[in-house]
Amino acid sequence: MTTAGLRRPAPGSLPAAAGRRGTAVTGLRLARLYLTSRRVPLALVLLAGLGGLLWSALHWHWGIAGGAAARQFIPLTIESGTAAVIAVTTHGPFGEPERAAGRWLPWLRLGEAVGITGVAVGLLTAGATAGVMAGGSLAILRNVGGLAGVGLLSAGVLGGAFGWAGPLAYLLITEGALAHRSTTPWIWPTRLPHDRGGAICAGLVIAAGLVLIAVRGPRESGRESGPTD
Amino acid sequence: MAAATAVRDRAPRTVGVVPHGALRMLRVELRRNAMPWILPLIAALFWFDSYRPSTATAPLYGLRTFWNLGQGHTIIDFGPFVAGVAAWMGSRDGRRGLADLVTATARPRWATQLATWASTAIWGVGAYLIFVGVMFAMYAWQGVGGDPPWWWVADGAVAVTAFSAFGFAVGAYWPSRFAAPLATFGGFLAMAMSSQTGFGQPAGWALILPTNSNGAFTGNSDVDSGIFYHWLPDLPIARIMFLGGIALFMLGLTGVPARAGGFWLRRAAAVLAIAGAALAGTGVGLASGAQMTAHGVVISALHDAADDAPTTYTPVCGHTAGVPVCLNPAYGRYLPDVKSALAPLFAEVAGVPGAPVRAVQVAAAYNGGAGPGGGPLVMTLSGQPPVLHMSLGQVNLPGVCGFCGGPVAARPFANQLRLMIVHALVGARGSLGNPAQQAVMAALLRVAGVPFAAQPRLITATANFEAPGVKPGPATGPVYAAAGRLAALPATARHAWFAANLVALQAGRLTLKELP
Repeated sequence: MTTAGLRRPAPGSLPAAAGRRGTAVTGLRLARLYLTSRRVPLALVLLAGLGGLLWSALHWHWGIAGGAAARQFIPLTIESGTAAVIAVTTHGPFGEPERAAGRWLPWLRLGEAVGITGVAVGLLTAGATAGVMAGGSLAILRNVGGLAGVGLLSAGVLGGAFGWAGPLAYLLITEGALAHRSTTPWIWPTRLPHDRGGAICAGLVIAAGLVLIAVRGPRESGRESGPTD
Repeated sequence: MAAATAVRDRAPRTVGVVPHGALRMLRVELRRNAMPWILPLIAALFWFDSYRPSTATAPLYGLRTFWNLGQGHTIIDFGPFVAGVAAWMGSRDGRRGLADLVTATARPRWATQLATWASTAIWGVGAYLIFVGVMFAMYAWQGVGGDPPWWWVADGAVAVTAFSAFGFAVGAYWPSRFAAPLATFGGFLAMAMSSQTGFGQPAGWALILPTNSNGAFTGNSDVDSGIFYHWLPDLPIARIMFLGGIALFMLGLTGVPARAGGFWLRRAAAVLAIAGAALAGTGVGLASGAQMTAHGVVISALHDAADDAPTTYTPVCGHTAGVPVCLNPAYGRYLPDVKSALAPLFAEVAGVPGAPVRAVQVAAAYNGGAGPGGGPLVMTLSGQPPVLHMSLGQVNLPGVCGFCGGPVAARPFANQLRLMIVHALVGARGSLGNPAQQAVMAALLRVAGVPFAAQPRLITATANFEAPGVKPGPATGPVYAAAGRLAALPATARHAWFAANLVALQAGRLTLKELP
């Protein structure tokens, strides 16, 4: 006697409709657990704080006197800080077990990175309504998108916990480029918001970052295995 | 019993100042520290932001290190990253939920935390010193003149230590993955604000800020510290006190919480924090009383009179039109340019009473201010017999020039030097001179190859020369008419006229009508 040709559902299994609903519930639960493990709720609080900081800077006209590097300093630092927060959320606390068992992990990583970047752009755009920001929301979209890409690439190379290093390094390079009037499109904050070259470069970087994070994930060191934040 | 007699007491283990266990713990922490992962990125940034821009300046230590040590870019490139890594290391036990476990171990928690911090600081400061050392080695290989500003390097090393302590405290108090970016961007923002405050504050408490270049590197001269006189250590010492105080305060704070250790240890941590705050405050107080002198910032409480002794050197000399010209060896590469600038003018007045018998380089002063434009005079003629004193540290030297629109060509350099020399030669001193002196200046410049039409622009373009609010007019009028007549004379006739009239001209006794 074999079970070949057996069509009956296994005892205790749900009917088809209930199974689909169950899959959706499981999927939502998986996404919620994934976001919680990446400390996304705290990240959203920090992003909201950065949006508030931008709002305050524009509302009360905080500024640094000087050339282009000084004028863009505060918005650019806030945008870089936003990208740093996004990059750090890629850090996973479970390491190998999650990679071995997580079939949906690439999609979860991709969804989380895209989602939180979108939320960050939205929050900073809301913060920018307090005053006139050079370049407006288009510049925020390009700068935050590109910087998030730098952060994701940095997380892929250095590890999610050190994803902040890329945006900070890029910020330092950008400030130097603004001070020395360099206008390469790879340093997109030095370009006008409608500039096609800058937008393409920022787009390429965020695309590369998303692909790297989705497919390969952040670099994980064996030293940091075990339950960490 | 036989076995018992064979047992010998173990010789007591030698315990040094630092217990063996603590060293072992430090070695383990050094091996497991995250700092080496970030160092390649810092190295790339250091090259891009600290070293590369400096090579676009003249090869003199004061100029080469103005951007990276004076304005603190070496600290900006290092500090925030070190703070981030220190925050990550400081939050380690808390993130992993091991805080209670390590609290129950034999060693006080604060001691183990200090070992973790020390390993991060050692990596950070060690890398800083190595990177700066490599940069100075490159400068030495390129023949950069003068002595390196070692006190400012020490200043940077203590700043990196302070950043590590700050980041560590952030991580210890907030054990989260977001502690690192918070410490990093917080540190970066602090440095940017320090730079910004420094640009507008040439004196007072703001001198303590580690990226404030005012007073320390910037004066009317930028370059002669470490060449003619020593780099004064007063302000760097005050900054070291300030930054060291911050580091002690932050480290003390990490030992205050209840689980850091026993009562006495926590009390010691609190005392350390208070001592750190007092040290930092003392540094600020000392900087507030700083005074600018000719050789830099002096803080009387820290000043050592031995630092005022001039640097000894053997000048490099040459001759032009029979007159010896001597420069500091750090400026030796510019001797041909200076000689060619002096040659046509010295040829005009060679052997004439009142003309220089020698030209020597002198130090540029931080607080000069006697020139036509309010700045210090670059060239002065004094002594008996007269000697031309050249303060070359105040002019943009030929070649790369990081603080100009582009490289300085040999001809504009020579023309600027000639303008200053004739200004000294006719005795005009702190003004553009009387009409007769102006006419002779114009004539000599024309003889030296600067046409009348180009002279007003030359005066405008020469630093510290144009009087504020007084624009030189077009090259017309009685002054230029007299200058034209003098310049048109044969060389021998001009020489004879100078022999008869130069002393009177320098004394301001000649009028325009007395010119040929």
